[in-house]
Amino acid sequence: MAWLGSTVLNVFWKPTVNIVRTRYHAEKTRLIKRYGYEEKIWSGGTLPRTLGKPLPIPEYRPANAWTERKALFGQNDYIDILGPGDLHPVKTLYTVPSWIRGVNGNEYQILLRKRKMWANTGSRQTRPTKWKDMEKRISFLYRKLNRKTKTGPSPD
Amino acid sequence: MTSALISAIKRLHITITPQIRVYSSNVAAATSASTNSLSITKKEWAFQPEYTKPREVWIENLDTIEEQKLGLFELHPSVYAAPPRLDIINQNVVWQRKIRYVSWAHTKTRAEVRGGGKKPWPQKGLGRARHGSIRSPLWRGGGVAHGPRSGKSHFFMLPFHMRILGLTTTLSSKLAQDDLHIVKDLELPTDEPEYLAELVEKRNWGPSVLLVDDTDYAPRNITAATDSLAHINIMPVYGLNVYSMLKHDTLVLTLSAAEKIEERLLHWLHTNTREQSKEFKVNQV
Amino acid sequence: MGSRQITEKSLSMLRSLPRISLGNIRDNPNCRKPAKRGRAQHGGDKHGAGNKGSGQRQNFMRLGYETGNNPFYLRVPQEHYYRGHHLRREYPPLTLHELQRMIDKDRVDVNQPIDIASIVKSGIYNFFPDQKQFGVNLTDEGADLFTAKINIEVQWASELVIAAIEKNGGVITTAYYDPHSLFLLKNPKKFFESGQAIPRRMIPPPDAIEYYTSAKTRGYLADPEEISKERLKLSQKYGYNLPDIQKESNYQMLCERKDPRQIFYGLEPGWVVNLKDECILKPKDQELLKFYNT
Repeated sequence: MAWLGSTVLNVFWKPTVNIVRTRYHAEKTRLIKRYGYEEKIWSGGTLPRTLGKPLPIPEYRPANAWTERKALFGQNDYIDILGPGDLHPVKTLYTVPSWIRGVNGNEYQILLRKRKMWANTGSRQTRPTKWKDMEKRISFLYRKLNRKTKTGPSPD
Repeated sequence: MTSALISAIKRLHITITPQIRVYSSNVAAATSASTNSLSITKKEWAFQPEYTKPREVWIENLDTIEEQKLGLFELHPSVYAAPPRLDIINQNVVWQRKIRYVSWAHTKTRAEVRGGGKKPWPQKGLGRARHGSIRSPLWRGGGVAHGPRSGKSHFFMLPFHMRILGLTTTLSSKLAQDDLHIVKDLELPTDEPEYLAELVEKRNWGPSVLLVDDTDYAPRNITAATDSLAHINIMPVYGLNVYSMLKHDTLVLTLSAAEKIEERLLHWLHTNTREQSKEFKVNQV
Repeated sequence: MGSRQITEKSLSMLRSLPRISLGNIRDNPNCRKPAKRGRAQHGGDKHGAGNKGSGQRQNFMRLGYETGNNPFYLRVPQEHYYRGHHLRREYPPLTLHELQRMIDKDRVDVNQPIDIASIVKSGIYNFFPDQKQFGVNLTDEGADLFTAKINIEVQWASELVIAAIEKNGGVITTAYYDPHSLFLLKNPKKFFESGQAIPRRMIPPPDAIEYYTSAKTRGYLADPEEISKERLKLSQKYGYNLPDIQKESNYQMLCERKDPRQIFYGLEPGWVVNLKDECILKPKDQELLKFYNT
């Protein structure tokens, strides 16, 4: 009968609990995080709605690192060392146009070479405006380099 | 501090007597049948190594998926045990990238943009800023000042011996990292790419493999098998280069290719290269 | 590979390191120096171009400017032509051409031995012993035109000059005079008027001894035998027939030389020239004679 008595006691009698506040909100010390930082983006309000149409994200197309061009990149670059020795690697740069293949120089030098090599290709007749622009650019660069800048020391 | 350093060095497994090493991941695969007919080649080079011992490598096979060791082979330390200079490798890679790189970015100057010949408004009297052309760089739709001009070449020639060093350094690094394998030949029993893929997988060669042969024409089976595997490529000896060696995880040389590479590099290391070392001129080739 | 086996060690280390690939190679750290860009308070600066003028407007430096170096035109050329000039002997030149002209105009007597006293007496040549000038440097200008047969004593002569004089059957001697003797030779009268005894000529300083004892330079202290050999050698070198001076009519004059202690021809050290009485006083004291003869 003891359990009955305790059950009855639990149901019908509750001890009175008086909550005594010892620490008030105003007295709390707060941990200061990210002092001096001001959020620049307004993060209130509702989330953006897309009205049925997804936002324009470009389709993810991973690059294939093993296309034939990439897989065999640099082939024959050491052909003068590993080959019979009669072919220079510059000769094998088939993807580079011939007038700029193995050329190193400033715009003026490259344009001069381009003009020289294109002079007899009919480019002058078929693309007269481009040709004229190139000539203008060459003469402009000539004046710039010769009259307004100091040439570097002579190579020899 | 010192003890931590010592333990770190110990963890790096520095051993100074690695002259005979098993250059393979599957050590146990050496069958008894192959050990009986193991061919051990001692080589006589025209230029004997002076202070270093030759590197010994296993000759492997491609005609079974399981690795078989067909023999031992010696490689010249000048070519296959050069100091692993990462900076030289990097310079070679940079050179390979730049030798063929041409920037075609192009902008029109104020002279090339169409129009703009007339003075837009009189110099004085309107209270407006003075302008001489509607194609001035200040104008919307005008020309670009100091913009990129098409045909900017980044070509330069790395010195000849830097390129030789690039090859030896890369080959040595590959060998030191167990990423260089010597096979007897490129004969496969079948032309199915699955066979080759399984072989590479089984031998832990990494996904991408560069096969180098001495001849221009590889056997039919291997060409057919590698045709659909983009990351397994075949190259002749003269096509070998630093970039491809680094791009592919494993380098597989045939016996003759290894000898050919060795012969070519030793030749250049022991010959007068005054002609080759000259400064590159545009129309020299 | 060295004894430290660096290659072996590094290759062994590579074994346990990640695979070298295109993604993990790099150049040596700090092997490239990046271009400078002004930061913070220097961001709006003139980038070293200065304010206005050629620094900003031209792409090149002003002429002669060497980017902070001490420029070439300001670097004073350090060419020490005159280092130690106060110690060096100077021989004012006299050309063979001038000498020939002097002879042609009878400014000097070729029948007498010519020394610096007679050259100075001609009035064409002058020198200043107090300015470290030590006598005549006979130079080779006009050597082809020189035809006189003379017995000359100079202080400095080149090989060609010697050849030019000996080719004509002449005799040349190089002799050293100390500055005091040169004063006497330059103006004997002034000295004689002072009434002093003629001093001894001093021996050459150490750096001149070699020149004046060499037969090649016809030094006055050289062995006469050697000199005659060198005369023959020089004639063979320059390809002329050496005239035999022994057959000359004025052989006596050509053979006349001063004593190494003698200053004037015909006057010995210790003598006193009395111009007023027109006589010469000679010492008789044994001590004096001994002194002047050494």
